[in-house]
Amino acid sequence: MKALLNIAVLSLTGALGLVLAWSILDLPASAVRLPEQVTAQLDMSGVAHPVTAVLLNFRGYDTLLEIAVLLLALLGMLALPRQASGSKPRPVPASPMLQTLARLLTPLMVLVAGYVLWAGAHRPGGAFQAGAVLAGAGVLLHLAGLLPAWATPGRALRAGLATGLLVFIAVAATLMTQGTLLQYPPGWAGALILVIEASLTLSLGLILAGLYLVLADSKVQA
Amino acid sequence: MFDPIPWLILSPLIWATLAFVQGPGRGGRLAVAGVALQLALAATLAQQIIAGGARVYAVGGWGAPLGIDLAADGLSAVMLLLTQAVALPLAFYARAYFAAHAAPLRYFWPLTGYLLAAMNALFLSADVFNIYVTLELLGLAAVGLVAVAGGAGPVSAAMRYLLATLLGSGAYLLGVALLYGVYGSVSLAALAPLIAADAPTAVSLAAALMLLGLMLKTALFPFHFWLPPAHGNAPAPVSALLSALVIKASFYLILRLWFDLFAPIASVTAAQFLGALGAGAVIWGSLLALRQTHLKMLVAYSTVAQVGYLFLIFPLATGAAAEVAASAWQGGALQAVAHGLAKAAMFAAAGAMIAATGRDEIAGLAGVATRLPLTLFTFVLAGMTIMGLPPSGGFSAKWLLLGAALASGQWWWIVVMLAGGLLSAAYVFKVLRQAFLPAEEAAHFKPLPRTLEWPAFLLALASLLLGLWASEMLNLLGAA
Repeated sequence: MKALLNIAVLSLTGALGLVLAWSILDLPASAVRLPEQVTAQLDMSGVAHPVTAVLLNFRGYDTLLEIAVLLLALLGMLALPRQASGSKPRPVPASPMLQTLARLLTPLMVLVAGYVLWAGAHRPGGAFQAGAVLAGAGVLLHLAGLLPAWATPGRALRAGLATGLLVFIAVAATLMTQGTLLQYPPGWAGALILVIEASLTLSLGLILAGLYLVLADSKVQA
Repeated sequence: MFDPIPWLILSPLIWATLAFVQGPGRGGRLAVAGVALQLALAATLAQQIIAGGARVYAVGGWGAPLGIDLAADGLSAVMLLLTQAVALPLAFYARAYFAAHAAPLRYFWPLTGYLLAAMNALFLSADVFNIYVTLELLGLAAVGLVAVAGGAGPVSAAMRYLLATLLGSGAYLLGVALLYGVYGSVSLAALAPLIAADAPTAVSLAAALMLLGLMLKTALFPFHFWLPPAHGNAPAPVSALLSALVIKASFYLILRLWFDLFAPIASVTAAQFLGALGAGAVIWGSLLALRQTHLKMLVAYSTVAQVGYLFLIFPLATGAAAEVAASAWQGGALQAVAHGLAKAAMFAAAGAMIAATGRDEIAGLAGVATRLPLTLFTFVLAGMTIMGLPPSGGFSAKWLLLGAALASGQWWWIVVMLAGGLLSAAYVFKVLRQAFLPAEEAAHFKPLPRTLEWPAFLLALASLLLGLWASEMLNLLGAA
């Protein structure tokens, strides 16, 4: 019975894959040419890199909701009732070698995150990548026994997690006094995008680190 | 002129995030204030649409296809009003429920806020990719809410729900990618004329994937497997939100896609197929509701059945004369609203009965009629809409659908609707019969705070009065 089901599922997904492949090979030329429009409006966007222009300006509203999705993912994990943390609030202390390395690397990683954030304006980079580097530093510190897990984040940590979204919403809403939601006034776009990206870097770093550190210590009740 | 469109999305985002910063168990007052504000905003938007027609709002000032457009017409306004009108009484109800229950509240309020933000954003979106983002926000918030009670049942139901909803979003996103591949745009306004002009096979494939994904999220038979455990195991305010509103969001998208975007390639055969699935849902869901021994599972299976009626729109309105199509369309929209109000009331009343008797079994309801008359009356009123008795909103909805079926000569849907009506009467009376039995000697009834009974009653009353206000609602629905 199970083998039959497996075969059925396999042949269905196989057929879907074939149909997909066949229809993708047959695609006509697009009627709308968005990349050209992005290039044409790039000077107005406040940044020089098309990806950042799309993420923070042209389709900034999508990004705003996506930040909420990321925060919500962490919130969903925090909302699960969990057992009181056991006798091991901290991981087993790592070797002095790893601790020294973590102490050396963390400031460097913060520096790299800062650079990646800044570079986003004109080359690949930006808040998501910078936040990921920061989160990596957080995980490294935890593995080296220098940072406890976050079973129940305190108010300061929660504020840090929410800062990026709140700053993003505050900027978007303030701009409505001049135009529509998230409509940057000419000349201000670059500076405002940097403000948003800087706060996003902090919050994304905390959120991504949280996805690891919240689970590191506690068992979800099942 | 003040524009409520962006604030309908920002308000819940802001209060949800502030409630999160406040901490576990906090944020109830913020939520009540925020939802009350949103109800006023939705009413303002509805008035503006009646006066001035449909609206488009260009986020960032770019305009589609480079930027993202928001759009609001009569249908979006109806859904926005329904969402806030259901959420406000439920916010009061939830405060009383968690206070009386000592159930772990934890992050209920922020999750609810993001849920409402996602729904408002979804009803206002005019961009297929942006809709995907709102679907993800909606799905994650709903899954988090199901799991909020903890324990084996809710957590495994939440995991099953998570897998179903992710599979649904995945199929939808695949469709969006195909559409972008063919036309180079994700804006509904830009895509509609392009699809009407020329639709290669890839577009039919995209349509099938998107609709299948959304059907899974709407829990249309036979994709309903995840709904009863998720809605039956969640705390009552959560069940009410999910059953009344969340499945309507993905249904709203199916309506939009079918009748706006994919109208040029929508075939009568496919419409009959959707109707057949709806008929299967009506019969199968009602039969299973009748067999349940637990109150909330019965109400959850009733949702499976009532969703089926919504899908009768497609065979009745596709390829039919304009008048018949309008009647089917209005009946379907009315059914979505009537069921939203009634099902929220029903789950809230069920939660109150369970809180008072301390038991979830239908067998434990004896004596409810004398001890909780208001809550039982709420259940009866909501049941009238579910059964489709006059003068409820459910009656007007089913009347319009029946009229459309008669006028188009599709008698087989009439049989389904009548059978569904009889079966739903059977499962509603199954609960009432038990409630009217004298209380057992040993039965102990916990006194309930008034805020646990009145919000549900108001919702049930609204579902009944909807039958009398139907012309106002249809007027708003028709504003374009």
